[in-house]
Amino acid sequence: MKRKALTNKLLVLGVDGMDPRISRKYLGEGKMPNLQKLIDRGAAREDLKLLGAIPTITPPCWTTLATGAYPGTHGITCYWRQSPESLDAVVYNMDSRNCTAEQVWNITSESGLKTLVWHWPGSSWPPTSHSENLSVVDGTQPGSVNMGVAQLDWEKIIVASPDIKEVRYAPRVDKPAGVGCIITDLEDTLDGDVDDEMMELWWGDKAREGGEIRTYVMDDEDTEVVIGSKVAYDIINSPLKDATGWANAPEGAKEFTILTSGGVMRRPALILKNEAGEYDRVAIYKNKKAAEPIVILEKNVMVSGIIDDVTKKEVTKPACRAMKILELDPAGNSVRVWISNALDISSDQLWHPKSLYQEIVENVGQVPPVSLIGGEDDELVREIFEPSWRLYNKWQADCMNYAIKEKGYEVVFSHLHNIDCAGHQLWHLGKTLPEWDHTDEKTYQEFIEKFYVQTDEYIGEFMDLLDEGWTVLLVSDHGLIVGESVPPILGEYGGLNTKVMEELGYTVLKKDENGNSLREVDWEKTRAVQIRSNYIYINLKGRDKHGIVDPKDKYELEEQIINDLYNYRDERTGKRVVGICLRNKDAVLIGTHGPECGDIFFSIEEGHNRLHGDSISTSEGYFDTSVSPIFVAAGPGIKSGFTTDRIIRQVDVAPSVSVLLGLRYPAQCEGAPIYQIFSEDI
Amino acid sequence: MPLQQLNATLFEEIIYDNGDPCLVVFSRKNCHVCKEVVPMLEELQPKYEGKFGFYRVDVEEDKNLSQRFSLRGVPSIVFFNEGELQGKIAGNVEDEQVEEKIAEVLGE
Repeated sequence: MKRKALTNKLLVLGVDGMDPRISRKYLGEGKMPNLQKLIDRGAAREDLKLLGAIPTITPPCWTTLATGAYPGTHGITCYWRQSPESLDAVVYNMDSRNCTAEQVWNITSESGLKTLVWHWPGSSWPPTSHSENLSVVDGTQPGSVNMGVAQLDWEKIIVASPDIKEVRYAPRVDKPAGVGCIITDLEDTLDGDVDDEMMELWWGDKAREGGEIRTYVMDDEDTEVVIGSKVAYDIINSPLKDATGWANAPEGAKEFTILTSGGVMRRPALILKNEAGEYDRVAIYKNKKAAEPIVILEKNVMVSGIIDDVTKKEVTKPACRAMKILELDPAGNSVRVWISNALDISSDQLWHPKSLYQEIVENVGQVPPVSLIGGEDDELVREIFEPSWRLYNKWQADCMNYAIKEKGYEVVFSHLHNIDCAGHQLWHLGKTLPEWDHTDEKTYQEFIEKFYVQTDEYIGEFMDLLDEGWTVLLVSDHGLIVGESVPPILGEYGGLNTKVMEELGYTVLKKDENGNSLREVDWEKTRAVQIRSNYIYINLKGRDKHGIVDPKDKYELEEQIINDLYNYRDERTGKRVVGICLRNKDAVLIGTHGPECGDIFFSIEEGHNRLHGDSISTSEGYFDTSVSPIFVAAGPGIKSGFTTDRIIRQVDVAPSVSVLLGLRYPAQCEGAPIYQIFSEDI
Repeated sequence: MPLQQLNATLFEEIIYDNGDPCLVVFSRKNCHVCKEVVPMLEELQPKYEGKFGFYRVDVEEDKNLSQRFSLRGVPSIVFFNEGELQGKIAGNVEDEQVEEKIAEVLGE
């Protein structure tokens, strides 16, 4: 089929977790001027909403955006995929080979358009077209480029003062908010299970090899918001003393010790005086004999692109780090420094073609590591977590503009993770619930604003493209809500949710000698389990390894489970927490049908739902948040200054890309072009 | 001759600041294998005098140091050159293994 193109250049600007409802709040306050310009020059709904696919989980929604198919059709139905072997385990799912629908970028590249797919966390990696016009960067996890495969060392905080008598090192300390980074009792900080492999477990090689991941969500402590808000990093304490034994230490400098690489590599550092005699810089050296420092840090400035050797498993490689002074006493009596994780600079395994990695590094810069620490420690959020994303956003924008302006890419599908990453760490603190009453919601609401403001700056990096013949589609997968209450142990996407299903008598866990539940299902007594974001599986004879439910009893059991879920009342609020329940055959109504969606689909009711994932996409939360994704389009082929009443669904984006570029629709597409916003009748 | 014992401060000065090629055996007083390995190292030491350093850390007295090198047990021998980790060997090792590793560190 041939069709006249409405544009020749198209940028899909994807921002993970960007919520139209809170965006409108900040637009109203004049805090998102670039988004305002995009809206003014283009078309959107008044509420800026895109009707999101279900489940409102990252990989399914990005796959829907790429294919125009519902999750039941494209087969990516949660962050994880159900293990074919066990009802209580999941396996890795960010693999394009699991996707049963055609990606629109295969069509653009095969039609001759030079296409870049940049870190799209839904069925982009490995590339599924042999077209030489297709380039793909990562896409194996939603975090940041190379995060899943290139990490060699953890983030760390170094504290040095004259009161500390010897160098001490504590790996991966879960630090309660408000507690200083002084190691007073080393024994208490050591965890015998500290394991470097955790850096790769969720998103890296092991997961990609298809191994089962068995995570039981039994109570609040197992939930993502509790785990994610803990601040974990390596802590190094060091004496701070007059510099001795240096080849080249400036006068008045004082020395301290930094340990990296799990404690095995040591970097001596100096605090330096300015002309006024105040200490205001930190210089870090390879060793005391080195003539030049690896880096000189100034107060209040985060520096990225610092290359230093890092040792992991006795192999030493150059890696890229970012660093920042957290505190430096002008009189030289204390210093605190943050050091980012370390990214292996030789890692090009998730770049196609591999040559693109080297070109980006040479012309734009090394991939900047982003911080994942912050959570309940508002100083770290303010000084480290948020600024590290700001640096990363700029690097990514520069990469895409380089690809567009210097490398001749004509179609770009891109994804940025800043808002979603922050949302998972911080948004639950945007309302002060009793569980987190040691934090202040105003502080965290300000952080939410900061992340939207930095996103607006990111959008601003591409506004000039509108004057150069580019069409820009701003999209997201879902929004994130600030929760009204602590969610029930039902619908947590990371694993098997046991508590409610145990209470209802469907899931039975084995017990210890005191009658306490173990993290092991008693399959002989378990009739159904709830696993991943929205799915219930009947433990069916003949289908499941340990099945006990006779197929003839399945329909009636499903009815009983649905009744019980609707009747279930939350222990904290006394209210119903389950929104909708549908048998698999009925769930086709919302696109969560088929073999990857369990026997029953359910959602969590608004008011009890999580950040995103467990509810339907129309759910709203505290502080003007919602689970809805956003849609704004502007540029050639799009009406200017136009507001539409059209309900725009996530499945409509891919066919709209097809129409705008004059190409055929993706093979399994179930959406329709958003013809109301096009500048010409189709 | 007994091996020089290092604490955290001496470790900084000798291993990192001086940066000479050396080994450090992490041991414990009442460990049977340590009682075989440490004397073996003491015997080797004179042969390498001025060329390669031999030191020991008592893991009970300096838990922090042993923990830094992710040691799975004692005795463990950790090799350094210019302050950089060059490798580890653990358990009831023979003098040939140690000499082989020393030669590797010295680039011989």
